[in-house]
Amino acid sequence: MIEVRGIRTHYQRMPAKNPRSASPPVVVFVHGLGYDSLASFYLTLAAPFAEAGMEVFTYDLRAHGRTERPATGYRLSDFVDDLTELLDLNGIHQPVHLVGNSFGGTIAFSFAARHPGRVRSIVSIEAEPATEPWAEKMGRTLEIVVAEMDNEENLRWLAETFGSHHARLAKAAAAMIRATSIVEEVPQGPLLSSAELASITCPVLSILGSEGFQSDDLTAVESLLPDCRTEVIDGQNHSVLVERHRTVRDMVLGWVNALHDRAAA
Amino acid sequence: MTISQVTETAQQSPARAEVLDEIRGMLEKVLDQYGLDDTEITEDTSFHDDLGLESIDLVAVAAMLSERYGEQVNLAAFLAELDLDQVIALRVGLLVDFVVDATAGR
Repeated sequence: MIEVRGIRTHYQRMPAKNPRSASPPVVVFVHGLGYDSLASFYLTLAAPFAEAGMEVFTYDLRAHGRTERPATGYRLSDFVDDLTELLDLNGIHQPVHLVGNSFGGTIAFSFAARHPGRVRSIVSIEAEPATEPWAEKMGRTLEIVVAEMDNEENLRWLAETFGSHHARLAKAAAAMIRATSIVEEVPQGPLLSSAELASITCPVLSILGSEGFQSDDLTAVESLLPDCRTEVIDGQNHSVLVERHRTVRDMVLGWVNALHDRAAA
Repeated sequence: MTISQVTETAQQSPARAEVLDEIRGMLEKVLDQYGLDDTEITEDTSFHDDLGLESIDLVAVAAMLSERYGEQVNLAAFLAELDLDQVIALRVGLLVDFVVDATAGR
């Protein structure tokens, strides 16, 4: 636990095992919104990455996991400021590989636009930068969540279809929504201008599920950015990270290793 | 006690019942935070459905396990090889198996 901008923040570090060079790659995992936490990365990618000789850092976003839940302060810029201070406090000043899931990817893009020198690459999993279409989609999705979250029938359906585990997660997310201004603030951004998008010149790997949140246009993210490659996982919905973690692991390990080897050559 | 006897003792993996007791103590600590401390914990108890715990609680258990048994008991690495539904269905007995196996090579 560490205090970041007045908020007790839960983070986890895993040191690189048998690093292949004196300055091993630093990989920072940023989880998504709602019923997500650092566990999604900690229990899937974190250990294999440390094992592969990379420094691993992951944390719970404000109001998520074990991190404190202030009533307000949920604009995208708040999440970017949190990450900035968290890296500073942990002495991480070299450029990092930011791996963001869903809203975590949106944070990664805004962080890179603000601090281009601090990002070596971005891996965006089922995510997109904060643009007008993103804000609309996010606003609509959150409206539906709010409208449906008190419906007992939905919770029963969730429990019957996916197990009580999912129903409990949905209840926890509803409690977060009731206790904070997260739903109102997140879609406010601030959004990235075309000039800011063009300034994200680091290499980006966009991993999408063919049936995920970007299924209407799988090339939309790539077309917004100067240097982005897309990998699509067939037949997969938005839960790419947790349901296909081994596929994602291999893709991202290959991605970071290739960039690191190229820099060393 | 000779040196070889000491080494032999150190190499023995802890007994199953002993590991179960340790894990039970760790889970009770986690449950305490939620004010839930009256659940009976056996090898058959499931982490999510019976105890009502979440994956973020597994992160806490992972830290307690490596603190107690050393770095070779790496729960995150073990769970990274499982599928999501296996993690959701996780029972205490599987945690015991994992610790016994991971400490067997000492």
